Amino acid sequence: METKHANGDNLLTCKGVTKSYNGPIVLDNVDFSVRRGEVHALVGENGAGKSTLIKVVTGATGRNSGTITFDGEQMPLEFSRKDAQARGIACIFQELSLIPGMTVAQNIFLAKEPTIGRTRIIDKKKMNHQAQALIDKYKFPLKAEAAIDSISIAQRQLVEILKALSDNAKLMIMDEPTSSLTKTEVEMLFEIIHTLRGEGISVLYISHRMEEVYALSDRVTVLRDGKLVSILNKDMISPAEIIRLMIGHSISEKAVHHRLESKRSPVVLEVENITTVGKFENISFSLHKGEILGLGGLVGSGRTEVVRALYGIDPIDSGSVKFLGTPYVPSVKASIAAGIGFIPEERRLQGILATQTITSNIGIANLDVLAPKGVVSIRKELERAQKGISLLNVKPPDPSHLVGNLSGGNQQKVVLAKWLVRDLKLVFIDEPTVGIDIGAKEEIYEHIRKLSAEGVSILLVSSDLPELTRLADRVLVLRKGRIFHEFKDCVLTGEKILRAASGIIEEAADEA
Amino acid sequence: MKRKSIPTELKLAGVLALLMAALSILSPRFLTLDNLTNVIWSVCLIGILSSGAIYPRITGGIDLSLGSMAALMGIVADLFMNKLGVHWIPSILLTMAIGGSIGLFNGFIVAKIKVPAFVVTMAAKTYLYGVALVVSQGAMLAILKPQPFIAIGTGRFLGLPNPIYIMLVLVVASQFLLKKTAFGRKVMAVGANEVAAKLSGVDPDAIRLASYAISGVTSAIGGVVLASLTQQVFAAAASGIELEVMTALVIGGTSPVGGKGSIVGALLGAIMVAFIINGLNLLNIPAPFHPIVTGVVILLALLLNEGHLSIRGLGLGRSAGRQASI
Repeated sequence: METKHANGDNLLTCKGVTKSYNGPIVLDNVDFSVRRGEVHALVGENGAGKSTLIKVVTGATGRNSGTITFDGEQMPLEFSRKDAQARGIACIFQELSLIPGMTVAQNIFLAKEPTIGRTRIIDKKKMNHQAQALIDKYKFPLKAEAAIDSISIAQRQLVEILKALSDNAKLMIMDEPTSSLTKTEVEMLFEIIHTLRGEGISVLYISHRMEEVYALSDRVTVLRDGKLVSILNKDMISPAEIIRLMIGHSISEKAVHHRLESKRSPVVLEVENITTVGKFENISFSLHKGEILGLGGLVGSGRTEVVRALYGIDPIDSGSVKFLGTPYVPSVKASIAAGIGFIPEERRLQGILATQTITSNIGIANLDVLAPKGVVSIRKELERAQKGISLLNVKPPDPSHLVGNLSGGNQQKVVLAKWLVRDLKLVFIDEPTVGIDIGAKEEIYEHIRKLSAEGVSILLVSSDLPELTRLADRVLVLRKGRIFHEFKDCVLTGEKILRAASGIIEEAADEA
Repeated sequence: MKRKSIPTELKLAGVLALLMAALSILSPRFLTLDNLTNVIWSVCLIGILSSGAIYPRITGGIDLSLGSMAALMGIVADLFMNKLGVHWIPSILLTMAIGGSIGLFNGFIVAKIKVPAFVVTMAAKTYLYGVALVVSQGAMLAILKPQPFIAIGTGRFLGLPNPIYIMLVLVVASQFLLKKTAFGRKVMAVGANEVAAKLSGVDPDAIRLASYAISGVTSAIGGVVLASLTQQVFAAAASGIELEVMTALVIGGTSPVGGKGSIVGALLGAIMVAFIINGLNLLNIPAPFHPIVTGVVILLALLLNEGHLSIRGLGLGRSAGRQASI
């Protein structure tokens, strides 16, 4: 790929940018720059600091120290999104910032509509005309007068881009822009990114998908644990090397064959060729008693969809499931009754009852035991809550504390507790440690191990690679809705998992 | 947040005590049995209706149809007893069953067709009023018999009006259902976080259906008590009472977004509003000023309960975890 602007001057320069959120340092002295008219990829594992860096650059959050220079001007320590926008920094969201009830043109010109003469009356004709001219210039498949809620997500992204262009954006930041696009839409987006680059606009591209990073970018910046690892010209590296840099000389390697005995324990869950159209295809695996089976893959690879279907939230189109040797049609109620638990990925949205006490939060999944005849035994409920609190070391250990007022780690412990106080045989755990502090994380790992030692089978979905390598006995990597690779009886590393998730099989397979 | 928060009910009881103390100093007529009985009487209907209306409210919905419903149910009870000659006991039971069914229908549209409760029950308020007009032929009908029916509202037991006992029984039953049963737990969970409730094995649709049905039944009971008390039924008999019920719920700490609520609080809220109105009357403050006072009280109560204000120094507080993150 040509890099005609490769020697251009820097549009954005960050020097020594440091950011900490009350304690832990998430960005540590990061030097980073984006040149004029380049496509610059920003990569790193979850928690490497990518999102925080973007937030600092777009004014969504302040920084503790370091300088940011944009377009020759030094940015103050605290600036707003509006300031950033005014200077030409635009963030392309997927659909969040568009108003669904309005047309494409209305969204593009929101708060800067052309008016009739000197009045404040919107000149609708002129606005539609200008919007269409902009659309035609870039040959986007859009109509200025179409309503936002009648167009696809990919088209909405184009509207976002047009909106940024009409704001004279100099830097467009795209965070995982392809996660919900089809293949042809992705190709269209790539073409547009090339066009933007040709016009001298810089694009900062954040993605987990190595093939995209590799196909698009002129340079790649790798972040790891809040630090800059390196800025590389794309010609100098291979996707596998980028992955190696992201993971680092990881101490998270683990030989996974030391728990072979689990293979001899009975099968608890047997999944055969299950398919749900548009989500996953022909997934087959068996999970043994006391085994921790990791489910890896990129966001959108179908991991979460598989566990949701197996727990009974979403339907399964075809295939069969056996639980403890007998055919099983998953439904949430049947799952709970059978001793299956589910820890969802979004603690706030799916896990906790924020306005309620720890007691009620633990109680809600235990009503079958606490209120077999409909009347809740307040004594038993309190006992269960106290059991859960001491089991997981929830702080403060006060059953009447509102869960919404707990820290993230303690909220997650409550979500775990409501299942752990039950007699479980199998538990689905989806991203158990997102956004919680390291101490709580270790405690949660300890509990997952303890559960497994007690004979509970665990299906663990995670994007956190060390989490998978440290906890799992085996790892299945999903890619585009299918099982792409199984890691067993080998030395498991985060790098191997990520390579498999990115579709690089040669090296991933050789040691298996 | 280290400090334990004081329960809303306790705060309300405190405010109520202060209010009573102030009123008894300001007006010698306040602390008389007659006056207090009068106030409680006016609270009864609100209390009865709130004991059921709180359920849709806690699930995050609302039942605005209860005023029209109560009036219609009074008319229906009269129809059974005095036109169709049904004995008063089955008449009341039938009326309650009809109220529950209409509530169930509201709940069905809210839960299954996913129309906002505000719209569904607003429409029900309107068409039920229409049905009441049709059935009553637009007239105000006097109910003079049967005697046991009239005694429900007008009789006294141990010196206190019967409706007080009816209200107390319903309030206690409602509080028990809400706080001590699996159903109550599920109602709270659906209001707090529907998705989390579902993943914990709760069926949110079934809970919604039941909540609106309960509100329908208590509306019917309210309608019967009102008919018997006033010895007349007409389509507009309870018009606007839904707003008084919502006022009592808000003051009593039932969250407008669901997941939180107390029927004891609602009762204290209703008593407080009644005392305020009573006080304004006793102090000879002209009636047009009363709604201004009530409105301000609602706003203050909401701000206090939702944590935007704190009692300590009325400083600005922060609401727990309502900020959205990007």
